[in-house]
Amino acid sequence: MNFLAPLAFAFAATIPVVVVFYLLKRKRTVKLVPSTLLWQKFLAESQASAPFQKLRHNGLLILQILLLLLAVLALSRPFFAGQAPGSQLRIVILDASASMQATDVRPDRFSLAREAALRLVDALKPGEQMMVLLAGANTVVKQSPTSDKATLRRALQECAPSDSPTRIADALKTAAAFTFEKRGEEEVAAAEIHLFSDGAVPGLEQFENKGLPLVFHQVGTGANNLGITALEARSNPENPAQRALYTGVLNASSNSLSTELQLLFDGQLLDARAITVGPGETQPQVFVTSQARDGVFTVRLEVEDDLAVDNEASVVSVLPQPARVLLVTRGNRFLEKALGAVPSARLTVAADLADPGRGFDFVVLDLVAPTVWPEVNVLAFAVSPTNWFERVRPVENPALVDWKSTHPLLRYTPFDNVGVSRSTVVESPGWGTSLLDCPQGALMVAGELGRQRLAWVGFDPLESNWPLRVSFPIFIANAVEWLNPATARTSQLSVRSGDPFQLAFADPVPTARIRLPGGDTRDLDVDPAHSEIVFGDTARRGTYRVTAGTNEVAFCVNLLDARESNIQPRAELNLGQYDKVEANVERQANTELWRTLTLLGLAVLMFEWWWYHKRTA
Amino acid sequence: MSNALLNPDLLRRLEQLQLLAARRSKSSARGERRSRARGQSVEFADYRNYVAGDDFRYLDWNLYGRLERLFLKLYEEERELPVRLFLDASESMTFGEPPKFDFARQVAAALGYIALCGFDRVSVIPFPSAGGRLQNAEGAQSAIRHPPSAIHNALRSVRGRKSASQFFQSLAALTAGGAASLNQSLRRAAIESRQAGVAVVLSDLLDPEGYEAGLNTLVGRGFQVNVVHILSPEELAPTTFGDLRLVDAESGDSREVTFGKYRLKAYQQTVQNFCARLREFCQSRGIHYFLARSDMDLGELILKQLRRAEVVG
Repeated sequence: MNFLAPLAFAFAATIPVVVVFYLLKRKRTVKLVPSTLLWQKFLAESQASAPFQKLRHNGLLILQILLLLLAVLALSRPFFAGQAPGSQLRIVILDASASMQATDVRPDRFSLAREAALRLVDALKPGEQMMVLLAGANTVVKQSPTSDKATLRRALQECAPSDSPTRIADALKTAAAFTFEKRGEEEVAAAEIHLFSDGAVPGLEQFENKGLPLVFHQVGTGANNLGITALEARSNPENPAQRALYTGVLNASSNSLSTELQLLFDGQLLDARAITVGPGETQPQVFVTSQARDGVFTVRLEVEDDLAVDNEASVVSVLPQPARVLLVTRGNRFLEKALGAVPSARLTVAADLADPGRGFDFVVLDLVAPTVWPEVNVLAFAVSPTNWFERVRPVENPALVDWKSTHPLLRYTPFDNVGVSRSTVVESPGWGTSLLDCPQGALMVAGELGRQRLAWVGFDPLESNWPLRVSFPIFIANAVEWLNPATARTSQLSVRSGDPFQLAFADPVPTARIRLPGGDTRDLDVDPAHSEIVFGDTARRGTYRVTAGTNEVAFCVNLLDARESNIQPRAELNLGQYDKVEANVERQANTELWRTLTLLGLAVLMFEWWWYHKRTA
Repeated sequence: MSNALLNPDLLRRLEQLQLLAARRSKSSARGERRSRARGQSVEFADYRNYVAGDDFRYLDWNLYGRLERLFLKLYEEERELPVRLFLDASESMTFGEPPKFDFARQVAAALGYIALCGFDRVSVIPFPSAGGRLQNAEGAQSAIRHPPSAIHNALRSVRGRKSASQFFQSLAALTAGGAASLNQSLRRAAIESRQAGVAVVLSDLLDPEGYEAGLNTLVGRGFQVNVVHILSPEELAPTTFGDLRLVDAESGDSREVTFGKYRLKAYQQTVQNFCARLREFCQSRGIHYFLARSDMDLGELILKQLRRAEVVG
């Protein structure tokens, strides 16, 4: 046992004072009474006359000295040293993800987590430091290491949860940077990480665990939540004049939940339907509606559940514009027919390209290396002399071994019945991904180079049986959709909360103003070289409106994250593949005893009081 | 005079009362109480055969006419009832407002008057005998006229209503003081008295040696004992609090006491226990016990409590 304030033992000098008080003779009023017979029970504590005889068998004196001793001991603040060496730095990570707004505990998970963190601040001992990290979509260092409790409290009070998914791994990496320090050859953990979270944190399986000294404080109890986890607006495949909205509703609770799902267009109710979602299920829902103008579709769940953020999602729906396509070819009927069959494409055919493709949305190069390279999006068939790849090699009868059917270009386009007689192959470049592979290299590459979308196919379709397969017209249709800048732009208008929003303007604008869902506005300076804005403050869900010069653009920020909507609290965290941390495995360090001593002292005081009256009454 | 002790209205009402004796008088002197002795009165008791020398005046001639045998008619002899009033005149009786001793004298006067009116022989026995001094307030003249022994004699064996005035005067001249041993005083008085009768003990009974032995002796001698236990209001509910040094008025002992209002209840409980023990002791020995506050109405005690207990009637 050690003492934090050993100087307090000086107070022990008060003990003789108590003894002296007992030795002093009390001044008493003399009263003549008929008889002392009735007063025998009320005699004062001691009738002894010798000073030190008085002190013998005097229970009250002993009790009072004991009380004083306890008080002095409490003032000296004794403590038992903990088994673990006390960390000099505590790193508090507050999970600020959307699921922390859940109200299954009062007032909400985040407030509880913050209270627990504040208690940790109270328990901070002199000389110890603490830092505060807020882990939302991005990790923010709210407070660098300090031992000033007031500053720490203020930093914690300023923390607020966001509507974004969690990226705890980033926060842990940041914390790890502060945790380890080199002592000689080995790295020693000099800090302790306290994670305050509900445990609904994805993405830690890949976390490289280096034996982080992590203490997990878990909050949250229930998971009564319905959430919208997907939303997309597209043309109705059966009737291109209509819009189809694909949405998914997740039930994270263990009971079946029924509610009403509403569809709104620019705030006006279009449709409502009653749905029942089984426990743990995700139910897809499709709304089909006509759309007369550009606007924002909102899907809303009319339900009172623990998490409100995911009960509403919005998407900007822009009316589809026909893509203006320039086909540069020496003649390819299959390609012409396939492009002409796409309803949203307006085809122009040319033999060569004299300008960079102005007036077109994208250019299809069929075996032609143009005189002027287009600045718009490009689909190129067997065009070798480009600066897109480092090396282009010819191959004969390549075996098609793998293709990426998840890429939007290759959706519903199987290559298992396609044979190619001659082709060129490349190593997949840094700007794109390989979509079709043979053992020698990539036959098809798609990606974005600068602000240009490029799709490159290494072989002439006429040197394969591909045009005869059903996958060819589908690929062409996919390509028109993917290369159409309007599509790209539309996909840019839906952002997951926490992700940056990016928008390029056709004409240079000096500034842009963004109105946030709450009504606040932010002004941004636009880089004149790029005339593009990047906006990162997308922590709040809702519709944002950008005004830049004459341009007015709306974009929507949604949570749309099944892992966040599933607010079931986890008692343990998986760190990496093998390690896990259980909730509340706190290390016991330096237990101070003064509270116990004070309580004991109070008990002694009350006993003394009771005894004094019991003895004499 | 008597006015100092009893008011005329009370006196008038007392005249209608008399002491009730549960037992027949054993006194040798003639009086108005029934006794076991045969003698001259109007109360017929029995017959017996005539023996030579009997007074012819008591022969029943009617019987002789019928039976031709001589019978003598016997009558109950009426004797007097000795009433002894044991008056505690120790220092402790001077306490209280009004003083307990004043109240005790009033009770003694009232009971004595009842007895005098009933032609009973009344004796007041103050104790301690040496402490029964003359009241200084009464002045030096009375001390000259009535030396202490004279007063004590005047209070002994008083009989007849005409002695009442003298009896009251002597009582009024008594004063309390000194230490007394209740047990010793009662025992000595019990042994000295030749005939048993009614005994009334007027005292606060606050004697460290106790009261049991004295009362036992009185009962043993055949007295019909009544105890009037007199306590002052201050003794029942003290009004002085704080750190006190209590000095015993009789023994001079001092005790240190810390007494607060919160302990008043405990003190009252002590007094109640003391009285309850006394009452229990008396009940087990056929003694009438009366608890009296020194500020209570005398009429209430005599006319109600003693009457209810059939001590007077």
